[in-house]
Amino acid sequence: MSFIDETRKLLRENIRDYGMFIALFVIILFFTIATNGLFISPRNIVNLVNQTGYIAVLAIGMTLVIVIRQIDLSVGFLAGFLGAVAATALASWGWPVYLVIPFILVLGILAGRLTSFMVADLGIPAFVATLAGWLGYRGALQLVTRSTGTIIISDKAFNAIGNDFIPEVLQINLFPGLHKFTLILGLASILFFLWSEISNRRRLQDQGTEVLSPGLFILKLVALSAFIGGITWILAGYRGLSWTAVVILVVVIIYHFITTKTVLGRHIYAVGGNPEAAELSGISVKRITHVVFGSMGMLSALAGILFAARLQSATTTAGTLFELDAIAASFVGGVSAAGGVGTIIGSLIGALVMSSLTNGMNLMGIDISYQYVVRAVVLAGAVIFDVTTRRTMD
Amino acid sequence: MNQTSDGKPVVEMRNIEKHFGAVQALRGVDLVLEQNEVLGLVGDNAAGKSTLMKVLSGAYIPDGGEIFIEGEKVSFANPMDARRIGIEMVYQDYALANNLDVAGNVFMGREAVRLKLGPLGVMDYPYMEQETRQLLDRLKIDISSVRLKVERLSGGQRQSIAIARATAFDAKVIIMDEPTAALSVAAIDKVLELVQELKAQGASIIIISHRLEDIYRVSDRMIVLRQGRKVSDTAVEGDIHEFRERVVAYMIGARDDFATEEVASIAQGES
Repeated sequence: MSFIDETRKLLRENIRDYGMFIALFVIILFFTIATNGLFISPRNIVNLVNQTGYIAVLAIGMTLVIVIRQIDLSVGFLAGFLGAVAATALASWGWPVYLVIPFILVLGILAGRLTSFMVADLGIPAFVATLAGWLGYRGALQLVTRSTGTIIISDKAFNAIGNDFIPEVLQINLFPGLHKFTLILGLASILFFLWSEISNRRRLQDQGTEVLSPGLFILKLVALSAFIGGITWILAGYRGLSWTAVVILVVVIIYHFITTKTVLGRHIYAVGGNPEAAELSGISVKRITHVVFGSMGMLSALAGILFAARLQSATTTAGTLFELDAIAASFVGGVSAAGGVGTIIGSLIGALVMSSLTNGMNLMGIDISYQYVVRAVVLAGAVIFDVTTRRTMD
Repeated sequence: MNQTSDGKPVVEMRNIEKHFGAVQALRGVDLVLEQNEVLGLVGDNAAGKSTLMKVLSGAYIPDGGEIFIEGEKVSFANPMDARRIGIEMVYQDYALANNLDVAGNVFMGREAVRLKLGPLGVMDYPYMEQETRQLLDRLKIDISSVRLKVERLSGGQRQSIAIARATAFDAKVIIMDEPTAALSVAAIDKVLELVQELKAQGASIIIISHRLEDIYRVSDRMIVLRQGRKVSDTAVEGDIHEFRERVVAYMIGARDDFATEEVASIAQGES
């Protein structure tokens, strides 16, 4: 098979997986040209990553919720409410930040378990149960902020999560003006990526499974390494990796690992694919529902922390419409409404696509009304793409 | 005929009763399955055959009667209990997760773990894929890769996977509920060949089917249920047309071997 033929076959068979990456690449390219490079400037990339943070975190949780055929509308105001609780704990109760963050995360898990209690134990449709949550947390947010209005957060460590960068730990004179620690991390992740790809390929070959031809395999490695390297270079040229980026990376790595490598992850997808079959196979659908909504609650809390830290305050309207952004990001990232299908990396890309659109159009000075229309077209287009490619595969 | 079993029957159900509200679904049914026997279970709609098998597989708890597995009295609170003892049910609608691959379905709920990280078990993919490959080869099931998603397989292939899955973990009894109902003629052939292969390898099987020619082809013995009672329990033999006529006569109530209602102790008298 010639190189071109193989590439074509690969694209045709994996168009659903590669589609999002290609879309993101096209969007980045378009805005970079349209803004004369402003879009891809280090300052804006950092800004973009920090803007994406809380939506990406929510989208990752939402992906698993949709995978098990549920939905969660309460996450936006839950994030807003828990952000306000965090601000109150820091500002009024004088709690230290290392106590506030775990406390808020636990509150988030409890909120998620309340939802899953209604959904799994009482049998209330998730749409209704979480719509009640939407109303309830909105009210709770207004109650918390009623006496003070916006709560200003002055804790430097807390605000750093949304605004600051990882410290420079290497005092060497190589590459002046570049953030060395970020470069090292980028290099380490490229090496890890290469190692895992090569060892995976070797394992597949040992089993006699078909793998990419050497040429295409090397091309893939070079392209993705260049992508990671490029981002690292851009970030290192500014002030390095932001704490928000670190949080996203940690969440993505943990959730990617759980969904692809562990029994728990397998059970989540089994429940999404066929709940009756899963139950008959001894998988407790109830337990999986509790776990997934619990994780959604925790990630809502994390999103609330990221947003409050970024604004350095808790506002009375924090979290408004986050749930819809998260759901949209999940769908753009390839989640199927029928359940059982969707990946963590996909949702991250989906979140990046949606926030790149907002960011890029803001840079171009496009009217907000048109922005909504463009995002609508992208969302609908992504799902149409998903549905039609799924059909041609059958 | 395989009645000369070396030990106790694999399954013995005695006087099983089950009702749903006012409806008496099972009125004291006896059933015996010998080692390495294929037993056909037939009857009209609502005759009680699926209910009887759901009792055996732990999905229903009977209102009366006893179940013995290899001579040991058992009672099941749920399907997992039955499964642990070695009773596997293959459901009519395959009960597979279409979004998972073949190996994922075979090991669904019983994933092999390579490493425990607190509550998280890290799956042993190579082991599960190898085992699945060997299982498919052993049962002569023709599927190119254990990594294929089930949604990309044909109906016959899916049914084969569902049956293979039931046999993967040392099952004592495999119950198949209408295994050929949703399949094309060619696929039915494949599935029946698989049943024969399983028997050749020593499995004990109960098949529910409304397709009498399937029962005729693979079963050693056949039980006919009618209105929650056993009306016939005979060896599968003779010419297919004669066989079919006889079975239909039992199904519609024209014949009844157990009409005297002394149902409790007859089941073993079929030698």
